[in-house]
Amino acid sequence: MKYKIFVAAAIFFLLLTNLSIVYSQEIENSKSKIQIHDPWIRPAAQGSNTALFFVVENKSDKPDTIYSAKSSLSEVVEIHEMFKKGDMMGMRQVEFVVVLPNSKVEFKPRDIHVMLIKTKKDLKIGDEGEAVLLFKNAGAIKVKAEIRDMPKMNGMKH
Amino acid sequence: MKKLIFTLSLIFVVYSCGGKFDTIEDLSDEKYNLVDQNNSRINFPGIVKGKMAVVGYIFTNCPDICPLTTNNMRLIQERLKEEKINNIEFVSISFDPLVDKPGVLRKFAEIRNLDLSNWTFLTGEKNVIDSLLKKVQVFAVPGDSTVFQSGEKIIYYVHTDRIQIMDTDGKIRKNYPGSSINIDEIVEDIKSLAD
Repeated sequence: MKYKIFVAAAIFFLLLTNLSIVYSQEIENSKSKIQIHDPWIRPAAQGSNTALFFVVENKSDKPDTIYSAKSSLSEVVEIHEMFKKGDMMGMRQVEFVVVLPNSKVEFKPRDIHVMLIKTKKDLKIGDEGEAVLLFKNAGAIKVKAEIRDMPKMNGMKH
Repeated sequence: MKKLIFTLSLIFVVYSCGGKFDTIEDLSDEKYNLVDQNNSRINFPGIVKGKMAVVGYIFTNCPDICPLTTNNMRLIQERLKEEKINNIEFVSISFDPLVDKPGVLRKFAEIRNLDLSNWTFLTGEKNVIDSLLKKVQVFAVPGDSTVFQSGEKIIYYVHTDRIQIMDTDGKIRKNYPGSSINIDEIVEDIKSLAD
């Protein structure tokens, strides 16, 4: 009887280990197929708000979803989008952003961004700040962002 | 016949130029008692009297549009400096005076390394700010908010996205979208108005 229990437990343990390997491999696989390009954060004085911008590229053949973000830079982190009504501009929270297979989504000024609310310290131009983006399939992806006043390559061409 | 064509052309040119820079609002007789980033009492538009001014409207809790507007004003300031166009003042007016106290505005400018030699940030009593905003046709209404466990609430405004040119007589002469302004266009307009 003891022997049977031992064998059953061993099989169960092996199955569990296997499942966990397969699962973590899938996450690794998804993770490597999600790439974050050119992350940057606007400067902000301690206690104010700012935004994290980046381009997310999904190189897999499955959609993925950013549903949250975390950062020790601010008290609250939310995903927001800008909207225009006539010559008025406003902002509202969004629950998630879908990144379609083999496509890119740009988190950019006047559009969607990760909002860092009530920053815990001064974020000065030239410094770096970290955040973690949470994806449904790829899991948590850490980004290191430069603090600067405008996007690279933009040059504010109008 | 030639005289007639010349006269008509002249009328057309004069009419076109006038139309481009019609007076949108006249602030020449107004006196708004405000406070600058150093907590000094300021009379607006008195502070820029006799100078042309680039005026922007912001609130410091804004994470995107107002920093863009501010950055665009910095780019305009740099371009004018490069082109050696002097005698232009820059003014940023907060439409969230309950939050944007002088120290908050000063920090907002400092963290961006802004050149404040010809740039003033203004705030003041809410009723004064409200009446100024009404006069210059800039609107700000509370939108979404974040409420902290402590009960503190941050309000995000839905607001007019605006930079304006005010001429040397205190008249608003042209409106631009603050966050997406065409830098070349406003610099050319400033040159035309200065002529």
